[in-house]
Amino acid sequence: MASACCSDNEPAFTEEYLKNIVPYYTKLMPLPKLYEWFGYGNPEIFAKREISFTLSNDVYIRYQSFDSFEEFFNEIKKKAPVKIDIGAIYKTKPKIKALGFELTATRKDLVFDIDISDYDDVRTCCNGAGICNKCWKFMAIATKIISAVLKEDFNYEHILWVFSGRRGIHCWVADRHARELTNEVRSAMTEYFNLLKDGNKTKKVVLTGRIHKKIYERAIKIIDEYFMDILEEQDLLGTDLRLRKFLDMIDKGVRKQFQKSMTAVKCSVERWEAFEQTFTELQESDDLKTLKEEIKLQYTYPRLDVHVTRSLDHLLKTPFCVHPKTEKICIPFEAEKVDDFDLEKVPTLSKVIEELKTYDEREDTLPLGLNDYQKTSLTQHIELLERFVNNLEKDDKMKY
Amino acid sequence: MDTNARRRRVHTTVEDTEATLYNHDLSLYPKFPCSEIPLSEFEELAIDRVQLFRIIEQASLKGHKYFSDEWKKCIKDDMMKNNLKKFVRLLSGFNGQTELDIQARRADHISHFILRIAYCRSEELRKWFLARELEWFKIKFVSNSTPSILKFLQLNELNYQTISNEEKEDLKESLIVCTPGMNDVQVMMSEFYKVPFLDVWTLVQKRRVFLKEGYAYIPINDLVVSIQSTFRTTLSSKLVLMNRNLPNLDDERLSNLLCNLHQAYTGNEYTVSNDKDAINPADIDEYSKKHYPLCMRNLHETLRANHHLKHYGRLIYGLFLKAIGLKYEQFIEFWRSEFTKTMDTDAFNKNHLYNFNHQFGKVGKRVNYSPYSCMKIIMSNVGAGDAHCCPFRHFDVGRLRAKISECGAPSEGVSEIMQLVNNGHYQIACTKYFQYTHPQPSSNTINHPNQYFEESMNLVKDKTEKIVS
Repeated sequence: MASACCSDNEPAFTEEYLKNIVPYYTKLMPLPKLYEWFGYGNPEIFAKREISFTLSNDVYIRYQSFDSFEEFFNEIKKKAPVKIDIGAIYKTKPKIKALGFELTATRKDLVFDIDISDYDDVRTCCNGAGICNKCWKFMAIATKIISAVLKEDFNYEHILWVFSGRRGIHCWVADRHARELTNEVRSAMTEYFNLLKDGNKTKKVVLTGRIHKKIYERAIKIIDEYFMDILEEQDLLGTDLRLRKFLDMIDKGVRKQFQKSMTAVKCSVERWEAFEQTFTELQESDDLKTLKEEIKLQYTYPRLDVHVTRSLDHLLKTPFCVHPKTEKICIPFEAEKVDDFDLEKVPTLSKVIEELKTYDEREDTLPLGLNDYQKTSLTQHIELLERFVNNLEKDDKMKY
Repeated sequence: MDTNARRRRVHTTVEDTEATLYNHDLSLYPKFPCSEIPLSEFEELAIDRVQLFRIIEQASLKGHKYFSDEWKKCIKDDMMKNNLKKFVRLLSGFNGQTELDIQARRADHISHFILRIAYCRSEELRKWFLARELEWFKIKFVSNSTPSILKFLQLNELNYQTISNEEKEDLKESLIVCTPGMNDVQVMMSEFYKVPFLDVWTLVQKRRVFLKEGYAYIPINDLVVSIQSTFRTTLSSKLVLMNRNLPNLDDERLSNLLCNLHQAYTGNEYTVSNDKDAINPADIDEYSKKHYPLCMRNLHETLRANHHLKHYGRLIYGLFLKAIGLKYEQFIEFWRSEFTKTMDTDAFNKNHLYNFNHQFGKVGKRVNYSPYSCMKIIMSNVGAGDAHCCPFRHFDVGRLRAKISECGAPSEGVSEIMQLVNNGHYQIACTKYFQYTHPQPSSNTINHPNQYFEESMNLVKDKTEKIVS
């Protein structure tokens, strides 16, 4: 199950972090709105939803549930968790698990999790938990492709994208239809999505009759917006090793020709152009099928952490949590504006606390009656959450 | 045993209402049958459907690709062999309206409901039954012609919406690339239905369907997936409901049959007959290595090691030994010599002799008991210290792996067998084990430990006969 995400030996929480976290929860984190969402507007549903805490001493508490907002809020204040995870809605209140009862998960938002570290064999700018605006392009592609599939193929509309605080993104789909999907169907959907074969195969994407054109053509269209930039920024073909890996994906029968033209030039962009030229030349005599698409997809198609999507009882970090290592806040962002997302500008815990303090110390505190969060850079992200939750509630009322 | 006795049917007249009730080979069984039925026919129909379902189950386990022509042929052939002609009739595709057709549908209907009662009692049984019912439905469905399917939809008020020609024209390109097995012309010629994607999620999983805004666009042949999905949901909840109400079913004549139906064995009984070649007790150790199925080998080895077996171990192994041809005196001597290694003869005579005599039908009810079939062993309770079990089902993975390679299965065989075990196909795993430890595979899926033994011995006989001639 969801465990503390890293066990590296980075220092534990700074004193400042521990001092700020409770004021953040009480004054800034949009807990009432999250409460509304996680219970879909119904306190009885929220009471059956699993909430788990990670405490600062690394203790992980699962199967908690809270009967009211006050209980939820007070427990957060009291325990000051460094991470709050949201799980499924169960048939019965999950807290009875402690009494030895078996739990059956019935509903949960459909979720997707993409970690940049799963692109380590492609990206060259960072590795592991590191992420920069260059790697973000992979996340942008994932956001756009997944959004398109969810909307165009499955007709889902209540979709919230969230930066996970360090190295990836989460996607929450809250449409009633999506919340009620069984494990089997969730699993089937990940297979529908996934074009990359697992394992250590050098060639991970093979487009055959089974993978419809429609899925990959739509993906390629999105990828093409970024591909040349990624190629250049990541210098995908800039070394002999990278070039060899690239050539390994090409069928032995024609590899020599590609090798010849591509080694004749040095930089990534030139090498790709050489590839394309040879591709066009050979296409007339050899059946290269969808080789070019397959290569592009292998480099950039979304790499889902399928386990998170597949099972109802899998937990996922609550939006607006503070990532314990980076102190960055897990903020929602708009899929349409994913290109403008700037990792450097993600609000951090100390920053928003400071913003609030500065604002309150100002002489003129006009306009009056602002919520605390409106005094900080969290405003637009919280508004995004509010829109998402309000639309969801309206739609639930209208349709059911 | 006179196997025909069971088949001699009491002729039941078809009433007028039955003609309307049973007007199509395909059915979702919406209504309970309400007519009187002789107990003997009740029993016969129950066993017939169990047998039908086992045939269907085994066809894919025999290695035929699901719903391939060989798979279908294998099932039809086995149905004919096993005297299930009436069910074969439902696969004709003609949807005839003769009395024989109506009788066949009546048998299908009633047997379905009998099995519902028998199979609602546990999650495991429900799962097995549901899977077979869905397969049976699909076999019937794919045998039907398009007009006949349309008739079925209409009769069952299944209102699937076809898309208009304009919509099809718009989606033409997508339909062609996303519908496997159909070319441009076929796509344009056939009707397409628009169903919620959830109804056909298995097609979504395999990317075998065109999706748009939450709807899947499917040709008539794929409708079966959607109907199956509805059928699965309703049947599944009806089974759960029935299970809750089952205690109300208070008829001993029925409950006995219904509770044991899944274990009911539909093949050769392997009871001892006199024409069987006697086996030499001295050969037993060697036989256990060469010809025993793993379950019996485990019992034999446990007996040799501990000089004792617990009750069910003694019973199951004893009946097996009797059926492979161990004579009465040798049978008693076999147990006595082993047991008296840890107890004196008096204790054996006092505590165990009666029991072994009983097994052989010498005392008490004097019944010639049949040895246990695979299904009975697989379904039996195995407690701590029990050596009787189906190793494929009851051993833990590591132990099973070690045991089958110790018994001579090559490593590729081991992984294939473990895969089958993983998927719950214990008898097929055993059949594969046979194949990997013998010069040629068994002629049938292993259903009975004594069948395994006989098939294994036959291979030796064939060989010696060849050498002699």
